[in-house]
Amino acid sequence: MSYDPALISALEPGQLTAATHRKLPRRSLGRGTLALLILLRVYVVIAIPIVLYAFVHALVIPQ
Amino acid sequence: MSENALDLGTVALRGSAGERVTREDMLRARDRLKVLKTRSAKRSLQLLWLLAGPGVLVMLGENDGPSMVSYATTGATYGVGFFVPFILLTFVLAFVVQEMTVRLGVATHRGHAELIFQRFGPFWGYFAMGDLVFGNLLTLVTEFIAVQAGGLYFGLPSWLSVAIGVVLVVASLALRRYATWERALMALAVFNLLFIPAALFAHPSGAALTHALATWGPLPGGFGTAFITLVLANIGATVTPWMIFFQQSAVVDKGLTRADLPQGRMDTAIGAALAAAAAIATVVVTAPLFAAHVDVSQFASGADFATALRPLIGTTGATLFALGIVEAGLVAAMTISTSSSYSFAETMSVRHSLNLDFAQGYLFYAVAIVSTLVAAGIVLIPGAPLLAMTLTVNVIATLLMAPALLLLLLLVNDREIMRDLANGWRANLAGGTIVVAISLVGALYGVITVFPNVFGK
Repeated sequence: MSYDPALISALEPGQLTAATHRKLPRRSLGRGTLALLILLRVYVVIAIPIVLYAFVHALVIPQ
Repeated sequence: MSENALDLGTVALRGSAGERVTREDMLRARDRLKVLKTRSAKRSLQLLWLLAGPGVLVMLGENDGPSMVSYATTGATYGVGFFVPFILLTFVLAFVVQEMTVRLGVATHRGHAELIFQRFGPFWGYFAMGDLVFGNLLTLVTEFIAVQAGGLYFGLPSWLSVAIGVVLVVASLALRRYATWERALMALAVFNLLFIPAALFAHPSGAALTHALATWGPLPGGFGTAFITLVLANIGATVTPWMIFFQQSAVVDKGLTRADLPQGRMDTAIGAALAAAAAIATVVVTAPLFAAHVDVSQFASGADFATALRPLIGTTGATLFALGIVEAGLVAAMTISTSSSYSFAETMSVRHSLNLDFAQGYLFYAVAIVSTLVAAGIVLIPGAPLLAMTLTVNVIATLLMAPALLLLLLLVNDREIMRDLANGWRANLAGGTIVVAISLVGALYGVITVFPNVFGK
């Protein structure tokens, strides 16, 4: 594989690996979004035990 | 190539903007150059062919082993009726969701996992990645169950069909070229359409299909837990978290830009249409089991359906069905393991592309290879709790779809990164409705899981 400046111009600047490795800043969250994400955390806290229960329950079902 | 070309394997180069240029960039640039030339020559069909891939792969990839078993169970339990238009609707939902990932990819040139990590912080970044990689590992187990079961139908020992599956997955990664990987998988994914000729052997009634599509009926059996579970299974068979992560990463790896958005949407729509046709064909092909009152409640894999179908639709039809099940497991194993790789590498900020050499992308490839080996190994363990894993996969996918969809909606409304491609009110209405519906479905699934007889048998 060799470097060809003409070829590389087919890419948009934002597509270069080096450009995509630059991190985007954290998003500043409004109250609504923050509330949604907090609700989502509550959902996750409820969902994880259900997943664990489902797995353990399925384990004891005779196959 | 120009004469003063330099070796990229050892030298870090800088493009005109002063950016470091890698082998991955050069390979992607080659693909882009073809696209640019084709676009300027106004060859629209060739342009669509060049830009198609992520949408077709994600949709046909989701027609995986467990999904085809869900569709087969649906056909064998309810025949041709309510579920035919319902499955069509789930693919419309899948298109709405996946179209957003195409926009995110072309607008940001970043994968889904890295956008979540960078825009919402480490908690959601690690949660999304961890949930996906774990869920994908269990899903991979179910894909190898499909491969193993399909192999058994053709008389292959379990270890051999699973080993062939592993070799094919690893061989696809060894291509180290996104474009080749994508075309190889598309060629393999075409075999998902084997369910369509298989359905013809069931001699379907055109009138019954038209009636089902027009009236959403008949629905024999009422609304018990079995019916609700099948509704949920069919939704889970079409809209899942790995699809969101995979398609966005594939769009970025392929190098799609804003100018390619129409083709990206068309690719997704074509994929949805093909996958819906294969899914409905699976319902149709197993409908004779419903007519013959065959009890499929103890069927564990697609091969059981193929065996039961043989006296009803003939050996050729049953063989096509079994081949389709093997393909479903194989293609899904390739796409799902790759989505784990993308998600892990993006979250850990290491290089992630199917254009990478093994030396440059060892962590990226390692995730797919290790998860494939672990999943294949689990399937071969005598007495492994495979049924438990299959059931847990469905629970994880359904319950954790709501967070994945909400994060997707938040990202696609993030105008700082999306600019003019951010969701409008119509897309938000459609997306919001789907999030609410999927959340309710997830909650319902949770209730049914903990209290199985709450809605009766």
